[in-house]
Amino acid sequence: MTWTCEHIEARLSDYLDGLLSPDERHEFDMHANSCENCAPMVAGISQLVGGLHSMAQIETPPRLVYAILNQTLGPRAAKKGWRATFAWLGALASPRFAYYGVSVAATMLILLTAAGFSWRKPKLADLSPVNLYHTANSKAHVAYARSTKFVSDLRVVYEIQSRLNKDNELPTTPESTVPQSAPGKAPGSTDGTRPATPRQQNRADGLGRELEILATEVPVVSGHLCGQLLGRRIP
Amino acid sequence: MLALCNFWGKLVTVAGFEADDTLEQDAQLVQQCLQGDGSAWEELVRRHTRRIFNICYRFTGNGTEAEDLSQDVFLRVYKTLGSYRSAHGGFATWMTSVTRNLLIDHYRRTKRDRITDSLEDSMPVVENKESAGRRPDQQLLLGELSSQVQTALTKLSPELREAVILRDLQQLDYNEIRQVLDVPEGTVKSRINRGRIELARILQQMGVRPS
Repeated sequence: MTWTCEHIEARLSDYLDGLLSPDERHEFDMHANSCENCAPMVAGISQLVGGLHSMAQIETPPRLVYAILNQTLGPRAAKKGWRATFAWLGALASPRFAYYGVSVAATMLILLTAAGFSWRKPKLADLSPVNLYHTANSKAHVAYARSTKFVSDLRVVYEIQSRLNKDNELPTTPESTVPQSAPGKAPGSTDGTRPATPRQQNRADGLGRELEILATEVPVVSGHLCGQLLGRRIP
Repeated sequence: MLALCNFWGKLVTVAGFEADDTLEQDAQLVQQCLQGDGSAWEELVRRHTRRIFNICYRFTGNGTEAEDLSQDVFLRVYKTLGSYRSAHGGFATWMTSVTRNLLIDHYRRTKRDRITDSLEDSMPVVENKESAGRRPDQQLLLGELSSQVQTALTKLSPELREAVILRDLQQLDYNEIRQVLDVPEGTVKSRINRGRIELARILQQMGVRPS
């Protein structure tokens, strides 16, 4: 049977509530997906039903329960004597109050622990405002110092890691292209070759200066030797 | 110990872990009520007030009327509690049926007033019809919920309105709705279907696109 628009409209709620058989559902989908009148209707009512299902329940006015109880059971007799004095305690035995109590107790526990209150050896003096202030102050400073140190350590670790990563990222140079130091030539030699590293250059410069001083002070003995070493004539 | 168990039961209910044996608990509370236990009745009232108030509010669209009708429902239930038979269905279903009958009575009783009101509404007025004469708590209710859907619901015929409310807002199944409305299941299906289509049409006329 081929479904028409009338079929779709008549069975729409069965479709939305999942009451159609697989064959009927297939026929429904076949028509609804291809019909330009039914497709928007099915989509619109499906959205409407979804919206209705998700609508929240309205909160009951608090006075309503008491009004009902007064109408049915009659006004409650006023409590007298010590019962009236402690009547408000009955209101505390509600789940909501229990939740409030637990949350307040948990907050106090956290605050007192943070303020340095010792739960193993509780002292009344620990609860004095001055002691609480001093302990909280010192704990706050310690916490600040620890956090600063932690951040600083993190920074160092990050720097080391980034440098290591940078070194790892450098392309490896083939062995044949590695500059070889000239055989038989000491670092800082004055034969025209460049020293391998800046440190070697500095060392060579320092040696040169010392030799110049020696040549100036003892020209006869060391002039020739120094001249040879430095590769130039010493005046 | 009993008080502690009762308190724990309340705690669990508030936390959302409502037990599945609601029907049994209701039946037990009804038995205790019939034996003259006032606290059992109080418990029944607290368990069902919200649901009954919601049905009344959705049907009337008016907070004050819903409160009055809820009180009437509980008063009638209290008086006729002896006629309830658990073999015929759950207490909640029976109570919903009482609510439905009262709502229909209320609808018929106030029909003439509504016709007069609608004539007055059609007269041109300067003030805002949405907020005029409405108490702040009613405005709060309307603000929390989709007021357009509520307005559209009240424009449905009572037969279609109650079917849509029970199915889509109270999320009763077809069998429960059949028991509440006391009509064949085919009629229930037909009313729900026509109610949804009609509601969508009214919302479309109001320029509301359901999402």
